[in-house]
Amino acid sequence: MAPTDDSPSTIDSLLERYLSLLDEYTKLRTALNALQSGIYHDIARANFAAERGIRFGQDYYDARMHASRKVEIRLGDGSGEPSHQQQQHPVFAVISCVDKCRASEAGETEAETEGEQNPAHSDADQQHPSDKPKQKPSSDPLRWFGGALSTPMPLRQAQSQAVQAVEDIIPRLATVNAAMAAVEVEVRRARKKRAKAEAAVAAKVQQEGVQDGHGKGAVAVL
Amino acid sequence: MSTQEYKDRQFLAVIGDEDSVTGLLLAGIGHVTAAPDSQKNFLVVDNKTDNAAIEAAFERFTNERKDIGIILINQHIADRIRHVVDSYVKAFPTVLEIPSKDHPYDPEKDSVLRRVRRLFGE
Repeated sequence: MAPTDDSPSTIDSLLERYLSLLDEYTKLRTALNALQSGIYHDIARANFAAERGIRFGQDYYDARMHASRKVEIRLGDGSGEPSHQQQQHPVFAVISCVDKCRASEAGETEAETEGEQNPAHSDADQQHPSDKPKQKPSSDPLRWFGGALSTPMPLRQAQSQAVQAVEDIIPRLATVNAAMAAVEVEVRRARKKRAKAEAAVAAKVQQEGVQDGHGKGAVAVL
Repeated sequence: MSTQEYKDRQFLAVIGDEDSVTGLLLAGIGHVTAAPDSQKNFLVVDNKTDNAAIEAAFERFTNERKDIGIILINQHIADRIRHVVDSYVKAFPTVLEIPSKDHPYDPEKDSVLRRVRRLFGE
């Protein structure tokens, strides 16, 4: 017999899935902790080795920074396989869009520059747009802290660990979190259905008992 | 769940101490919107930052801005606005608590693990 939505086996299989998600969540947490520790350690090393008074922090952030890693959200069951039983939940991914973002930023900068300039362009200007000096902000945050050559090695190591955390661990943690929330809803729903079914059975049994009692009482009177 | 709820949510936001924010910005998640708004997707919290400012940033990232997909917040900072973080139940943006340099991750305070306990304690 196929298990119904409120059958104990359905709830058990949901809880089994929930526990495997919990296991994955715990492992991802451990991995994130290790990466975060590495990042803090490397930033501390970079600060220690830096010239006196220099601290790699918010004083060096670029006030016009643009994200080169962005979130992508879609709906799915996270496994990539077709599933009819599992409820769909958000699946998170973080994608690097260095080239794409640079192109779109260049487009935005160009549009902004054109908008700011005097609308009465000369024909010569329009024919040679590439002659204008364009300042493309670098998408590599390491450049905020002193350029490609003078950036300390520990900061580079911190960056590579941060990229790993942002691209691999954090989106998976968010996905597992969403999957767990979806399973929680299903478990609660199944438990409610089971409780209702049990209450209905108990009421039926009670009713039958009462009817039997009446029947026996009637026989005794006769 | 409609696509409209999440299709424009493309940024990660961070509320954290300086090293946490610096580390995550090194990965290229930092974004400042065009002027005149110039809204940042991060908040550096130090000892001088009051809880109202943290709460306001959390509110801005969760409710006002529609371009944030994931919010990362240091667990010890989340503790300072715990009532707000725990009462947040929306699917988007999702909130993840992360450890900081001086405050290691404490599973007892993790909102996901607290949900697990509630599910099995029912």
